[in-house]
Amino acid sequence: MNSTELRLDHLRGPVPPTPHNARTIAALTSNPACARRAVMDSAGVDKRAVAARVGFPPPYGQSPFAITRTRAFESQVKANGCAELLRMLRELLDLSIPEVAYQDLDEVAGNVSHEVRHKLARQVLGAAATGLDDGGTLFDHPLLRLPVGGRQVFLEPDLIAFQFKGTFHVIEIKSFAVIDGQADGGKVAATAVQSAVYVVALRRLLAELGHDPATVSDRVVLVCPENFSNHAVATLIDVRRQLTVLNRQLDRMTRIDSLLEPLDAGLTFDLAPDRDGKPTRPVGELCDALEHIPARYSPDCLAMCELSYFCRNEARGTTHALGRSVSEELGSIESVATALALASGGLPPSPEQAEAAGVLRAALRLRNECFGLPA
Amino acid sequence: MPDSAEELEQQIETLRAAVRQAMSAGDRPRARALRAELRTLEDAWDEAVESLAPEPEAVPTQRDGASILPLREQVHSALTLLSVPAAPKLIAQVYNACFGGDINSAKLTSLRRDEERSFRSAPFARPYYLCAALTADRLAPVRGLLAISTWPLDRRIIGPLSPRVDFLTAAVSIAEHIDRLPGIDHNAARLLWLFAENIPGAADGIGSAKPDTVIRAARAELLAHQPVDRSHREAAAARARTQLNDTDRLFGSHLRSVRTGTDS
Repeated sequence: MNSTELRLDHLRGPVPPTPHNARTIAALTSNPACARRAVMDSAGVDKRAVAARVGFPPPYGQSPFAITRTRAFESQVKANGCAELLRMLRELLDLSIPEVAYQDLDEVAGNVSHEVRHKLARQVLGAAATGLDDGGTLFDHPLLRLPVGGRQVFLEPDLIAFQFKGTFHVIEIKSFAVIDGQADGGKVAATAVQSAVYVVALRRLLAELGHDPATVSDRVVLVCPENFSNHAVATLIDVRRQLTVLNRQLDRMTRIDSLLEPLDAGLTFDLAPDRDGKPTRPVGELCDALEHIPARYSPDCLAMCELSYFCRNEARGTTHALGRSVSEELGSIESVATALALASGGLPPSPEQAEAAGVLRAALRLRNECFGLPA
Repeated sequence: MPDSAEELEQQIETLRAAVRQAMSAGDRPRARALRAELRTLEDAWDEAVESLAPEPEAVPTQRDGASILPLREQVHSALTLLSVPAAPKLIAQVYNACFGGDINSAKLTSLRRDEERSFRSAPFARPYYLCAALTADRLAPVRGLLAISTWPLDRRIIGPLSPRVDFLTAAVSIAEHIDRLPGIDHNAARLLWLFAENIPGAADGIGSAKPDTVIRAARAELLAHQPVDRSHREAAAARARTQLNDTDRLFGSHLRSVRTGTDS
């Protein structure tokens, strides 16, 4: 165990690390500039518990209805030997008729332990990549592994890997509807990042087994219900951009030392739980610990980070709390108060603020004209 | 004969008000007594309303003969018609469409376990058991598939190609069954479409399929898979015959954790 791991263990306190999944790994890519999140995720701190302790419990989670709906749709698509899926793949990718082999990797003869399932997935996918024994076509729920922040993370997958003409594809089944060829952009984007996580993990697995990682396609197959029916439809999505972002972010997490460098040696997010698991750490102390690491709050955080409500409260009055477009527009102006003072001319702008100050003054003039106020 | 429904409604209203008053006055015993009275009245009201309704029509929710047979018999007939191991959902769809039943597939989840228990306590006491399909590689029970113990063992083996082969075989069996019927009703047509939609060249148009087209298309695709699949199945069946005991041969063998001491 090296000093970085010791540091991270100390940050987390004497509890097991919170495991990552494809969703949390995907969330890492959305706000790479946030040191607070990077450090806490690397240490495996239970952010939900910390947020609840400091008085900002995250008011969301995955809805049980959404989970049930996804399961039902997934089992429908995979029913009867993946009958629906095969129809779509034959239409979309011209899959030939003999390629129908199906391997269920969800359990190994009744054993569902992660280690055993991962071993089986390695064995089966490795054999498929070698091309021996006609390898198989569909691989249901292979359990993949990805090192995140120096720790091996099992990805509880929600996908089917699929081999076709020597290339692996990732199939992601989602229950949001594609209506008239259009799906919710945010959901598709989130799915693309999640699928990219699986592509990275699958590539890594093949590379470890000595195969060419490029045999995993950078296009993933997204299966969704069509229009207002239960009829499934498949689409190809290109995830090359997401792969680049993800690889960069994963590399950054391994270089966590540079983020840990400026932090106090005694810093910890230990909640000091008592015998019933109730946190006893003083709230003020925990808040100080959180504020010690700089965060970069933006409104997008609300959708994906458990600590976001704490950070939003902390960021009140700053310009970046208003969203990316505002903070880009206002450049070097950090706080809303400064922006207002510059707009009204009460504060002489410094040279680097001059451009933004011009924009602000123009905006104030327009606003006054609209409301019929004296300029 | 109870009072008329309107009279009862009035009485219920006044009683409810009385309950409310008793509660707001903090008189719990009285409120409880009044509530009991209210419940009797409400029951009487239910009865009165029932008697108002016209005679129930002759279309019960369960169709003829559906509930007379025990569940395992119903599943047995659906599986016999399908002639391949099938998932509870498909079994329910087939039984409901072809035998006019009303099986809820959720009820089938515990069936295999019950059968296994029955077999363990008295082996071969029943003429047939609803048992598991076995995976070709590990001879373990396949998740969520039911089969019949009297089938030849190789039919119960599921290799990599078997899910597709079984789907196509089932399509042929169902289409043949529907072809024999005098007319195709709505349920049968839906069942047939379920298969036809996912077999190349089997569908007639959107939502419609003819039994003979489905049979022809399914057989054509079967030709591509069957030889390889049969060799997988026969090899695994031979292994199962020599390696497994009676119970495991029907309900599958489970991976047991072995402490070898060499594990890293």
